[in-house]
Amino acid sequence: MMKKKVKIFDIVLIVIFTVFSLVMIIPVYKVLVDSFDLKTAYGMKLFPEQFGFAGYKSIFTNPTMLRPFLISCYTTVMGTIMGLLISVLGAYVLIQWKMPGRAFIANVLLFTMIFNGGMIPTYLVMKDFHLTNNLWGVILLPAINVYNLVLMKNFFEGIPVSLMESAEIDGCSHFKILYKIVLPLSKAALASIGLMYAVGYWNDYTNYKLYITNSNLYNFQMKLRALIMGSDLPSAVEGATENTVKNAAVIVAILPFMIIYPFCQKYFVQGVNIGAVKE
Amino acid sequence: MKEKGKTLPKRTPGGTAFKHARAYRGVYLMATPVLVAALIFYYLPMFGIRYAFFTYKGINDPIFVGMKHFVKMFSMPGFWKAFSNTLVLSITKLILNTGAAVIISVLLNELIFLKLKKVFQTIVYIPHFMSWVVAASIFSMILSPTSAGLVNDVLMKLHLITDNIYFLGDQKWWRFSYYIINVWKDTGWGTIIFMATLAGISPELYEAASMDGANRFQKMIYITLPALNNTIVTVLVLNLAKVMNLFESVFVLQNDAVIKVSDVLQTYIYTQTFNSGAIPDYGYTTAVGMFSSIISCILVLVCNRVSHKTRGRGIV
Repeated sequence: MMKKKVKIFDIVLIVIFTVFSLVMIIPVYKVLVDSFDLKTAYGMKLFPEQFGFAGYKSIFTNPTMLRPFLISCYTTVMGTIMGLLISVLGAYVLIQWKMPGRAFIANVLLFTMIFNGGMIPTYLVMKDFHLTNNLWGVILLPAINVYNLVLMKNFFEGIPVSLMESAEIDGCSHFKILYKIVLPLSKAALASIGLMYAVGYWNDYTNYKLYITNSNLYNFQMKLRALIMGSDLPSAVEGATENTVKNAAVIVAILPFMIIYPFCQKYFVQGVNIGAVKE
Repeated sequence: MKEKGKTLPKRTPGGTAFKHARAYRGVYLMATPVLVAALIFYYLPMFGIRYAFFTYKGINDPIFVGMKHFVKMFSMPGFWKAFSNTLVLSITKLILNTGAAVIISVLLNELIFLKLKKVFQTIVYIPHFMSWVVAASIFSMILSPTSAGLVNDVLMKLHLITDNIYFLGDQKWWRFSYYIINVWKDTGWGTIIFMATLAGISPELYEAASMDGANRFQKMIYITLPALNNTIVTVLVLNLAKVMNLFESVFVLQNDAVIKVSDVLQTYIYTQTFNSGAIPDYGYTTAVGMFSSIISCILVLVCNRVSHKTRGRGIV
């Protein structure tokens, strides 16, 4: 192999990308620094002037902040489970090419990608089913996501049909085939799509805004929004300024995915590529 | 029926359709929760579109009013403003995000230090995982017109401006800020699909070009960029189908001062229903939603057609 020579253009590229990455990351870094800074922060600092955890303490010792955080955790876990369940079942149905009625089911699902009832009719249905001001509403509604379901189906299609057919001949029920053969071979798909669901649930704001009016059922995004809009500041402890608490709340809102992101990056990326290549 | 099923062989070649279906009864059972969810969350709302022709305030029974809501809608300047804003914001955003993602991908592809490439990729993906609420929170703080706002602070110190700019509260600046925040949030993520395409270009192409004496820029322009053509069309078509869905990103960044340049159909529907101050007429906002759904449906079908023509398969 010939060795490539480093040219001026390569240096220019590195400079461009360093600047670009800095621009991407500075807003987040500023929030991070300010969340630890007990002084009201002006301008850009590399490190907090007066370091302290008071901002975070104000969040985690205050029930009006802790409760939304726990609700976010709960709905994210439940929603991801429900979402995966529906996607796996739906995807397995869609790969039964010889099943009578398969085309009908596929069309019923695909039609929802073409036409929808819109915000208000959906709201009225949710209200009729008592799913407003009910966490099940914000868990179940996003769980049926036809896009994710089709993604899962595309993954399943990569499994050799002969495996499933021979299991069928051996007298395996479809539940057993799904559980014993399909799922163990789709761990990467479950990770990818599960993560997509989890991000969606953790970051959900629109559904809460529409279907939850009881502030006892707010998730962390709703709480953060209220806090930033200045209507709902929790009492700060140990000399944390209002600004410190706001910044700490932003960090708490992004923390879960910042922690798992480095370990799961390939699953996130894989999900995008499968969706783009085969749809 | 269950007992009978057990005694039947699983595969019945030449059996009737009914027998054939019976072999799949477990699968039909699996389809049930999916279909029930689709019925409740997608099909019942479609049925609810009938309210567009009624006056319905949630308390009384709906009263049939024919096309009244549509007549009212088409005479409302607020509606037309929201419709044009939806198209302008969505489409500009789509072009800027895609353009930025293509440029970044092509340049990333030129980076010969693979470790650095990984690091940059990791960094530019990060904003994608933040919610719009978080993005709005961060930018409302750093774009703040007070001295605490980082951007104004820097611009002042560089003597580029003399008065603080209220980026998110000034009609002249709001759209610009909105596009910048969108590029910040989604450009990095948008590069994934282009990077995947670039990874598939045969190295032989570049070698052949080198033999013919092409320099690096020529290779970028004549090999790398054309290789992305199909993917660019795919991305544009997929996203064009979604332009009417614009809601959350606008909703969390807008405020009363910039309604004129920022109100889109979905936020118009939301505020007319939930923030109007009076008892909402679900009929009127359903009519607006129906208009939006129909435009959306046409866009999806057109994009699907384009997609079939250009890349041989549809988007739905």
